[in-house]
Amino acid sequence: MSETTFMGVERSLIDWKPTIDYSKCDYCMECVRFCPHKVFEVREDEEIKLIIKNPHNCVVFCRACSKTCGPDALSFPDKNMTTQRIKEIRKEMEGHG
Amino acid sequence: MVENFAILPCNGLDKCAGVISHELAIKLSKQADNRIICPVFYRVSETKYNKLAAEKPLLVIDGCQTRCASKLAAEKNLKVARRIIVADEAKIQQIELTDSLRITDREVAFIGSLFDAMNKTDEVLSVPSPETGTTYNFEYETFQSGKFIFRIPKNNEIFFNENDCWAWVSGNRARIGVTDYVQQNLSDILYFYPPEVGDEIDQFGELGSIESSKAVFELVSPFSGKVISVNDKLEKNPELINENPYELGWVAELELTDPEGDRELLIGFERYFEITKKKGEETDVK
Repeated sequence: MSETTFMGVERSLIDWKPTIDYSKCDYCMECVRFCPHKVFEVREDEEIKLIIKNPHNCVVFCRACSKTCGPDALSFPDKNMTTQRIKEIRKEMEGHG
Repeated sequence: MVENFAILPCNGLDKCAGVISHELAIKLSKQADNRIICPVFYRVSETKYNKLAAEKPLLVIDGCQTRCASKLAAEKNLKVARRIIVADEAKIQQIELTDSLRITDREVAFIGSLFDAMNKTDEVLSVPSPETGTTYNFEYETFQSGKFIFRIPKNNEIFFNENDCWAWVSGNRARIGVTDYVQQNLSDILYFYPPEVGDEIDQFGELGSIESSKAVFELVSPFSGKVISVNDKLEKNPELINENPYELGWVAELELTDPEGDRELLIGFERYFEITKKKGEETDVK
């Protein structure tokens, strides 16, 4: 993700990232191969072999990696809630503008 | 739909046609963001209505062929976006306008039919399409990244989200698709999974998806609304998206739920061009 803001809001203030359900994940690493934004990181030598390394690299509203996930182990926040939060932050920013 | 207009009605109260113009204006003013310009007050005070007329397209409702409202618009140097002459409409509908200044059921029905007709005219999506014989007049700004050329349409009615989808708005409808950035990144698009006609989509909700050998791309809808049409041609010819994602490669049309509210979170050509150029420079499109 080249932009550090999304819709004028600091990307780090927006909670949008995949969550890995480790009870389903089979470490096939399809998501890692798929995501060009380096959101995931593989840790071969550890018990948990896949983590969300760079959550803020994740493109807000993109859920494409979850479509590559066979065991359906990836989930995302609710889009409406995220949109609402972005609107709120923008309002707060206007207030301080 | 007639919406977001400044309405300048004849308002002549001594003729049936004037009374009908007045009533039609009131009926239209209850819809969306339409606002009435009072011709009497406009004569004595310009400020308020000049501002309104500058902000919104102008709908002139003339009662009779004297066309007082049109003349007033001309006097004030206003550009008329749409005009209706009640007397002419009455002739077309074979309705005799009486001398009565009271509205009866007959006039109410006539006003209702004018109102419906005005809204219906715009229901035929004024977004051009080859099917309707109209053409696209997009002017594209381009930039090059490696061997790829990215086009972005320069049009005030086209809005973008930061998920590389565009929406071409016409009244309360919008045609939606992906931008060149998406199709260049995906390269040859092989499958199109359309949304269902009738689906209610939230802003930033999923509006179908497209797939190439490289990836699946979920369309993030710039607007909330109901899917009223999908581009069926893409099911057999998804490559139309690669050829031109803004024209024959459009994806779906929505009847918009909250165009004004949704627009707050969208960007226009300049900002989208800036963002995409930066992404194009930083991302290696292979």
